[in-house]
Amino acid sequence: MTLQVSNLVGGYSQVPVLKDVTFDVKDGELVGLIGLNGAGKSTTINHIIGLLTPFKGSVKINGVAINDDVKKYKQQIAYIPEQPIVYKELTLKEHLEMTMLAYNLDQNEAWKRADKLLKTFRLENKLNWFPDNFSKGMRQKVMIVCAFLTNAKLFIIDEPFLGLDPLAVNDLLNLISERKKQGASILMSTHVLDTAQRYCDRFVLLHDGKVRTEGTLAQLQALFPEAGNSLNDIYLTLAREGEAS
Amino acid sequence: MKTLFKKRLGAHLTELTKYLRLVFNDYFVLALVFMIGGLGYYYSNALKQLTTGLWWAPLLIIIVLLISVQTGRMATLIEDPDYVFLLPQEAELIGYLKRAFWYSTILAALMQLLFWIVLMPFIQVTVSASAPQLFSLLGTIIFLKVAWMNADFARKYHLQHKWMGNRWLFRLIIPVVVLAISIYVNYFIGVVLAAIVMIGGLFTQNAWKKRSVDWQTLIADENSRMHSIYQFFNLFTDVPSLKGSVKRRRYLDWLLHKIKLLPDNTYLYLYAHGIIRDNEMSGLYVRLTVIGTLLLVFIKGEVLPIVLCLLFLYLIGFQMIPFYFHFDDNAFVHIYPVTTEFQLKNFQRVLLMMMGTVAVIFAITVIAVNLTAPVTVIGVLIGEAIEVGLFIFMYVPRRIKKSEFSR
Repeated sequence: MTLQVSNLVGGYSQVPVLKDVTFDVKDGELVGLIGLNGAGKSTTINHIIGLLTPFKGSVKINGVAINDDVKKYKQQIAYIPEQPIVYKELTLKEHLEMTMLAYNLDQNEAWKRADKLLKTFRLENKLNWFPDNFSKGMRQKVMIVCAFLTNAKLFIIDEPFLGLDPLAVNDLLNLISERKKQGASILMSTHVLDTAQRYCDRFVLLHDGKVRTEGTLAQLQALFPEAGNSLNDIYLTLAREGEAS
Repeated sequence: MKTLFKKRLGAHLTELTKYLRLVFNDYFVLALVFMIGGLGYYYSNALKQLTTGLWWAPLLIIIVLLISVQTGRMATLIEDPDYVFLLPQEAELIGYLKRAFWYSTILAALMQLLFWIVLMPFIQVTVSASAPQLFSLLGTIIFLKVAWMNADFARKYHLQHKWMGNRWLFRLIIPVVVLAISIYVNYFIGVVLAAIVMIGGLFTQNAWKKRSVDWQTLIADENSRMHSIYQFFNLFTDVPSLKGSVKRRRYLDWLLHKIKLLPDNTYLYLYAHGIIRDNEMSGLYVRLTVIGTLLLVFIKGEVLPIVLCLLFLYLIGFQMIPFYFHFDDNAFVHIYPVTTEFQLKNFQRVLLMMMGTVAVIFAITVIAVNLTAPVTVIGVLIGEAIEVGLFIFMYVPRRIKKSEFSR
């Protein structure tokens, strides 16, 4: 069990956005976090990476909560934000070095991995450029390279597919499955449902700050037989139901 | 982590020096020398008229020292992307932040010293404090500042006991109480109390230094600190990292509707809309105008009002100059089929409107306050007219040509 979110109540101010959210991500599993805009996906992620403190409930990674041991908790996470965010005064190369320093990676080994990743995402000739001047998609690639440079046990990926070219989307999915095989867990929030349907092992559907339902595609199909076969159909039915009620 | 702070501090200082060079240009230094000289002269004259035992003197001392304690915030030099890139190093961040804390504290303590030196003659004259008493007062404000800074440090963590980072408590309530005890009861009790608050505050670090970092507060605090620094620099030059917010200000639409929609007025249209709706610009303009007017109401003398009028008019005009380039980053203005010859003319028209309005407001104030002194009134009217003319039609074109060259 890598990530365990239990009875989480939380949000930004006194008004809770999340109302009793419980789900988990097991070792070697890719879980898709799905929901409308404002359903609480990003809030959930902000709680997991420790930007927000829970009002009630807990978030544990391999049994460690953040205030038990900040270091142990944080070192297990790699995070790719929805909006790529880079240092405006650092070059691409310096961003990679920063990541190696922060995660305390072995320089030789990390550079070997970095070279491979840079080649995959066609950034290898831009090492001395400033990512701040890159396009959104390219900056996103920088974030991906930095995250997958690490040996994190839990990857948190917030809406990775918007702005990436189709080749990069494919490369990212390959990276994810490679890490999955090595035992890492991945939590990914997304709106691109047909991609999610093909790659995620399980889905957590958030609606209005609560877990509406969760399970594998087969389980969801069994739960809502009249909704249709694809994740898209099931999701649309549930979302409309949620709006109506 | 330690080297990271050193690196950041180096970069930060380089940036500050770059801007400070622009701030202390010849004209400003001249204005500053006059201002400090004038104020110093005014201060020393005022001191001669004061005696011991004025009822309002202790209150004024407390207020000034309270302001002194508020100066200087914790400079963490944290940047937006840190919460992603430094995420795994969060436990080590305390080392980084501690360096930042002591750096900021030392700077803030120097500020306290400065305030203390300036206020010292006043304290000696009005409450006839002895040297040991004065020094314990210095100790008091420095200790209070350390406790202040420590609370500013604490609030960057997810605290279990929220009071440890409470701003009202450490910024206002405790300083007011301790300073009042110092001045009204006993200086030595005050300094001992301040020391206890400081030591107790520093001890709370043990309670939170192992907890998780409140990245949102950490980043927001630093951004707001940098924003005020940039705002200051923006008085003198164009700061690229300053992203101003925009307000609609519908009640000023009647002014904008006056602009005839002709191609020649393209820049006039842009500048007028920009200056009215951009918060940085209109905020500065309004602030300086209000401060200038207030000073003119309270300050008497034959020559002083004239000098003040001209100084504020100059400051207001001067801080508007960078706005000339405000739209240069926008691709549209380069695509529009308009010649740039009207850009300067349009800009001068906007400046004339803005400075003219201020000149009229100042003139009305001076006339209302100094009805009995025709020399001052005439001096202000003529001085303003000459200054506005010279500034807009001689100084601005040169200045812009110079800046255009260096861009």
